[in-house]
Amino acid sequence: MFTKYIFFFLSTVALYSAIMVLLSRKPIHSVLYLTLTFFAIAGHYILLNAQFLAVVHVIVYAGAIMVLFLFTVMLLNLNKEEVSPKPVWIKIVAIIAGCLLMIVLIGIFRGYDIAIEKDPALTQIGLVKNLGQVLYKQYLLPFELASILFLTAMVGAVLLGKKEQI
Amino acid sequence: MSTIISLSVLGVLILAEGLLGKKAWHLPTILIGLLVSLALTLSGWNLNLHYYNEMMIVDNSSVAFSSILIFTTFLIFMFAGHYYRGVQRPLDDIYAILIFALVGSVMMTSFGNLIMLFLGIETLSIALYVLAGSHKEAITSNEATLKYFLMGSFLSGFLLFGIALLYGASGSLNMDEISAYTVREAAHLSPMFKAGLFLLIIGLAFKIAIVPFHFWAPDVYEGTPTLLTAFMATVVKVASIVALFRLFSHCFPAIRETWETTLWILAVLTILVGNLTGLYQPNLKRMLAYSSISHSGYMMLAVLAFSARSADALLLYAAAYSVATVTAFGILILVRGAKGNDLFTSFEGLGRKNPVEAVCLTIALLSLTGIPPLAGFMAKYYLFATALEKGYLWLVILAVLGSAISVGYYFKPIISMYLKEGEGIKLEAGFAYKTHIVFLTVLTILLGLLPAFLINLL
Amino acid sequence: MTSNIYDNFVASLTQSIHEWLYHVMPPTWALISEMTIIGLVFLLFYALVGLFLVYAERKVCAFMQNRVGPNRVGPYGIFQTIADFIKLLMKELITIKNSDKLLFNIAPFIVIIASFMAIAAIPFAKGLHAIDFDIGILYVIAVSSLGVVGILLAGWSSNNKYSLIGAMRSGAQIISYELSVGMSLLTIIILAGTMQFSEIVQGQEYGWFLFKGHIPAFIAFVVFLIASTAETNRGPFDLAEAESELTAGFHTEYSGIKFAFFFLAEYMNMFIVASIGATVFLGGWMPFMVHGWDGFNTVMNYIPPSIWYILKTGFIIWLMMWFKWTFPRLRIDQLLTLEWKYLLPINLFNILLMAFIVLMGWHF
Repeated sequence: MFTKYIFFFLSTVALYSAIMVLLSRKPIHSVLYLTLTFFAIAGHYILLNAQFLAVVHVIVYAGAIMVLFLFTVMLLNLNKEEVSPKPVWIKIVAIIAGCLLMIVLIGIFRGYDIAIEKDPALTQIGLVKNLGQVLYKQYLLPFELASILFLTAMVGAVLLGKKEQI
Repeated sequence: MSTIISLSVLGVLILAEGLLGKKAWHLPTILIGLLVSLALTLSGWNLNLHYYNEMMIVDNSSVAFSSILIFTTFLIFMFAGHYYRGVQRPLDDIYAILIFALVGSVMMTSFGNLIMLFLGIETLSIALYVLAGSHKEAITSNEATLKYFLMGSFLSGFLLFGIALLYGASGSLNMDEISAYTVREAAHLSPMFKAGLFLLIIGLAFKIAIVPFHFWAPDVYEGTPTLLTAFMATVVKVASIVALFRLFSHCFPAIRETWETTLWILAVLTILVGNLTGLYQPNLKRMLAYSSISHSGYMMLAVLAFSARSADALLLYAAAYSVATVTAFGILILVRGAKGNDLFTSFEGLGRKNPVEAVCLTIALLSLTGIPPLAGFMAKYYLFATALEKGYLWLVILAVLGSAISVGYYFKPIISMYLKEGEGIKLEAGFAYKTHIVFLTVLTILLGLLPAFLINLL
Repeated sequence: MTSNIYDNFVASLTQSIHEWLYHVMPPTWALISEMTIIGLVFLLFYALVGLFLVYAERKVCAFMQNRVGPNRVGPYGIFQTIADFIKLLMKELITIKNSDKLLFNIAPFIVIIASFMAIAAIPFAKGLHAIDFDIGILYVIAVSSLGVVGILLAGWSSNNKYSLIGAMRSGAQIISYELSVGMSLLTIIILAGTMQFSEIVQGQEYGWFLFKGHIPAFIAFVVFLIASTAETNRGPFDLAEAESELTAGFHTEYSGIKFAFFFLAEYMNMFIVASIGATVFLGGWMPFMVHGWDGFNTVMNYIPPSIWYILKTGFIIWLMMWFKWTFPRLRIDQLLTLEWKYLLPINLFNILLMAFIVLMGWHF
């Protein structure tokens, strides 16, 4: 009962700030709205009793990635509006395509009858102990192989960041 | 599994060598390491092993395709010494990233779970985003990496969303369980599953560069350093197609009518648009980009007409396409090195000055066109035959039409080389380089003459 | 497990308030008023601790520099900070012309909210905490990393190059050292086997983790002290507000109560990291007890847990103040080198070592 209102509140915040990311004129405001969106989503995770996911979401997105975005936007001083105007027909086509995708997705979720009617607050899978069990047993291989992905990304970042010429 | 482990160790080893400053050891280590992992891969033949809760399933098709990928990488690395010969800085990072990209592609050929598919695609993609921009001072390289990265990460979102929707509908990420779900629910498939399926197709189509998701490909291919373009055009392309093939032949055969039309249209569009646009390209590199697009269209036929024989046909096709494309890129590297560009005019007079290279390029291009008795012809023949068996008459007719169109651009460099008079400078290819190119050409001819090596394997 | 005579006191106090509230009003309202009460208590606590810490810093600084320190307002100058606070309250709030007004005004609040959120998870005594997450440590790391957003915004929206440089330095510093703080805590998590603060404290009943984990725990503690000092932007890592170069860094343009917010948040962050350090390494509110020495343990138990907690936290705060007034300030490149080339590799190796020791059972 209480959680229902929180859900609607968080959803409103998430949607509003996601829209404002696109609409706000200054890039730095967009970044902040994006942070707000992430917070609202973290709140949704907590409602689903996935505390670990929520906290990691805050650490990774709001804590690390958004700070990096802020850094970039501030150092590049992007606050001037110098976005090149797009032709009108591209905008119209983009709107039509986006709306079509939205209609399809809304249609899916409207037509979908929930198979398991369960109180999400009662599931324990989001707690760190259970998550660890799943991650290190069932999904051990992808978890380990993700390290190759990160190593690649790290080496790549150094490669692109270094001043040396090839 | 041993493939992935050995390749990962190889990548880390290269990085360690770089740390020690042993520049000269890189290429020998890589070549030996690739051969070792090729041997390890082949040792899994007929064992049909399942690893870690079905995360990886190493069946014969995955062994065969992984071997082709590793072998192609080996062939490409044979050019690396020449390509990077003037470079002072250590190249351990570029080589290691290439190896890690290969790990990603091996994951894509042997996944048993959609998580592994996604992880493989991401490992491959992130490695490629970096490699595309590894020529830092060239503005075209910067353009290539940004274009590829922005679009690729956006389309990864589609892929992931598709996987999430499939999970939401079927309740599992495991391929067998998804397949069981489609068999069970084939009559009344939930719309969520369908939407997930199509988002997945979009995501994969982007990675393969299927029309209409191909617009990044020519620009990215053109901007990327040529050696790495060869990797993109062969290993990445084959790995993505194989992933698509594996996914559809394992998971969704029961709901064929849902996706058949879509893939049919995509295949036809890819073949026609790829070949027609290829006619208007000013240089060989962009032409090869469009050639790779149209070839992914042909390979889609195997996905559409999947059967035991179509896997065989795909294997032969992948091998023939990879070998011929690597040969073409090998010559392209030489011409770009000598002339600084690869416009078709740069090839004028090549036939007289460098007969060996000219003949090799000609044979590679003829094989890509599908002229008998070369490998490309046999591959196309088997592929079209399997498609005909399944009753895709119009598709095959359009594909043959596409091949006919492709003659128009594959013959452009050949005409330049032999029929046009030009000053034609000498290409500076060492003995080893020449031998390697000749070896590749012999391979193309052999695959055409004796396709039975590959055609009855799977 | 020995029972503490004060345990029941806290539990019965909170329980009786809870029951009374549910008795006099419907459950929803009771819940809301409980939340309000907790919020108000923390707010009061926050202000008091902040005021006290400012006073303590000035006294410690004076002691280090062989001075007397504040001694005019009240006995030993204890009301000095209150006087300062009232002064700051009455000052004019200057808003700069060419600045992003919205961001300029919300920046101090972001900083203060981030530090306020972190207090919620800290246990002051058995059962005396706002919320006991099963991932308490991770939660604290998460919310304490948010303050940097406020700092960056403050520096940027001031439209002043000193502020911007200060904010950039501060941002680079915080996101670098956050890593070391997290990893040194992770070392202890491996030893404790839990991330829940209450269980971590319970696990240190006979021997704090600093002693239980011996070598790796000690390394982790040292790294934690260095990194947390840096994360709170305190000297010798206070180059974000290096007076000689940047006037006052990111809060140069702030005045009055908004400046006070930044000031308060800095001290509260120090308090929070000290509390976490005390809880994770030094046993939190758990008295110093030795297994088998029953008489000694009983005596130790007579000291209330909150006193233990305050003593340990105070010790770490005192260490940090000591650092500030004795070490010279680092340069930005030295700062980043220290983190990325020394602390981080040490930390990673240390985690491995700790995992090995826990696996072999070589800890106490």
